[in-house]
Amino acid sequence: MPAADTLIVAENLTMRYRNVVALDGVSFAIAEGITGILGENGAGKSTAIKIFLGLLPPTSGTATVLGEDASTNVRVRARLGYMPEHDCLPTHISAAEFLTHMAEVSGLPPSAARTRAADTLRHTGLFEERYRPIGAYSTGMKQRVKLAQALVHDPAFVFLDEPTAGLDPVGREEMLDLVRKTHREFGISILLSSHLMADVERTCDRILVLQSGRIVESGEVEQFTRDTETVFIEVDANRDRLVAALEGRGVRVTVDGAGLTIEGPDESVYDHVRDALVEAEAPLRRLAPRRRALTELFQREAGAARAEVSA
Amino acid sequence: MTTAVTERTGAPAAHRGTVFDIGYQRYDGTREGRGRAWLAVFKNGVRTSLGLGRGAWAKTIPWFFIGVLAAIALVIAMLAGRFGPEAYDELVSHADYYPFFTTIIFVFAAVVAPELLCRDRRENVIHLYLVRPLTGSDYVTARWTAFFAVLSAAVWLPQFILLFGFSMGHPEPVTYLRENWLDIPRFLLSGLVFAAYITMLALLTASFTTRRAYASVFLVGLFAITTPFTFALAAELEGAAGQWVSMFNLTQIPVNVNDLIFGEVNAMTAEMEIPTDALPSWVTVAWYLGWVLVPGGVLWLRYRRLSP
Repeated sequence: MPAADTLIVAENLTMRYRNVVALDGVSFAIAEGITGILGENGAGKSTAIKIFLGLLPPTSGTATVLGEDASTNVRVRARLGYMPEHDCLPTHISAAEFLTHMAEVSGLPPSAARTRAADTLRHTGLFEERYRPIGAYSTGMKQRVKLAQALVHDPAFVFLDEPTAGLDPVGREEMLDLVRKTHREFGISILLSSHLMADVERTCDRILVLQSGRIVESGEVEQFTRDTETVFIEVDANRDRLVAALEGRGVRVTVDGAGLTIEGPDESVYDHVRDALVEAEAPLRRLAPRRRALTELFQREAGAARAEVSA
Repeated sequence: MTTAVTERTGAPAAHRGTVFDIGYQRYDGTREGRGRAWLAVFKNGVRTSLGLGRGAWAKTIPWFFIGVLAAIALVIAMLAGRFGPEAYDELVSHADYYPFFTTIIFVFAAVVAPELLCRDRRENVIHLYLVRPLTGSDYVTARWTAFFAVLSAAVWLPQFILLFGFSMGHPEPVTYLRENWLDIPRFLLSGLVFAAYITMLALLTASFTTRRAYASVFLVGLFAITTPFTFALAAELEGAAGQWVSMFNLTQIPVNVNDLIFGEVNAMTAEMEIPTDALPSWVTVAWYLGWVLVPGGVLWLRYRRLSP
């Protein structure tokens, strides 16, 4: 039973394109906040989004958004926003005209559509350029127009499919800031699809990791990284003696380049480290707790999945 | 939404100020849903057809054709005014106007109508429409209705100019209108017949390509190629066979219905000796409806199944 604040629910969702399984019986629920859906190209992220928007009928299973099936009840789409990954903007008209039109197509009266178009362009930093034809915009500005058209009708939930695609580092950071601001200041919940782990890690509260149409991980981003906390130790000498001293105290250690890494430490580990350093007469250069980046987690999951396939 | 969030009250009017919170705001106004969405696509279709809100080049093509159709009617109206009722039989009548200028109407549709569908698919804007409270069927019917409305207005305009010219050229305009008032519903209905048929073929063709130029060239070529062959063969064969052949001429299909509406064979068909009375009227009407409804069904199916 989904929780009260659940906005999106997938139950046994399967999508097959002839012999290719894009989604393989996935079930999940997404609550308010920013949720990242992470996976390599072809993992099934865009397919899932299109099913939720009612653009693709699933082979089996159900997908509901805001309590409705968007393929049978198109009215619910008035409360949804979608920023596609690919180019989708008209080149010959201005951003102001385009957004006004899109707001009207979302069901807003013309006067409200005009006002909201101006306000959304201001929010996305395009207000000064709003009367230029979109075709003359840079890639970064076009991405902002794509985000603006997804927000212009004030949706309750927005799907962002690879919002940072094609952006340089500065543009990427600005886009992620906009995404965070959109949720933080206006309470709009977001499903952000990306194959860039850093984007998800920096932006999202929760994460779903898709691999070959299956969910391989899901949960809070912070929990993910906390669960895989490590302690990194670097000494100037006697590293091997330190390893032996730690292992003698029952601490699992892995040699990591010039230092040592202790996985999943608890409070007692620091006492063992202190004693082992003394016993091994190893001069301490650095001792630091460290959290694994999602990148490492994802690479680990991907490696495991490949091993499973090859087996 | 730009909203006044704070207002100082009790201060002298000259010192009263308002603080506006500009930028993104939550929207709690009305949401008019699918009807508003359909209307927005319709309005956009009308603007696109006429080049409104676009550059000069976008306006040139539609207004050139509308201008040509109106100018021809204006010349006829002026001749009617100059020479009076005695010359009316020598001039293009209401019944003759559409058959005589079908080619211009076809070319107008072939050049302008594809813009309504091709660009949205070429630039993938269609994907943004389909994620809003609008189905593929809603989208295509709104586009169809938009061009149908524009084309109907474009073909009615010269007929009204003709009516004005014939009325004013008559010594007693009111008497002319009283005696010929039936021409008004006839040319209105016939205009709708032409507009529905031409809009359907033009948009169906446009639904198969993302390039407006391809659709335009195909349509013009289709009309240009079928006309001379079928007319010549129809006149040669005569009788029911000749009439059947003439009905494969794409320009002749609405012309036959036009003749039924006006109750007379138009001057151009008569002059070319194309057989018109060998088949019952219902065949002509059913043939016309088939050419509107079958392409309409195909067009609807193509957009109903459309997904990114």
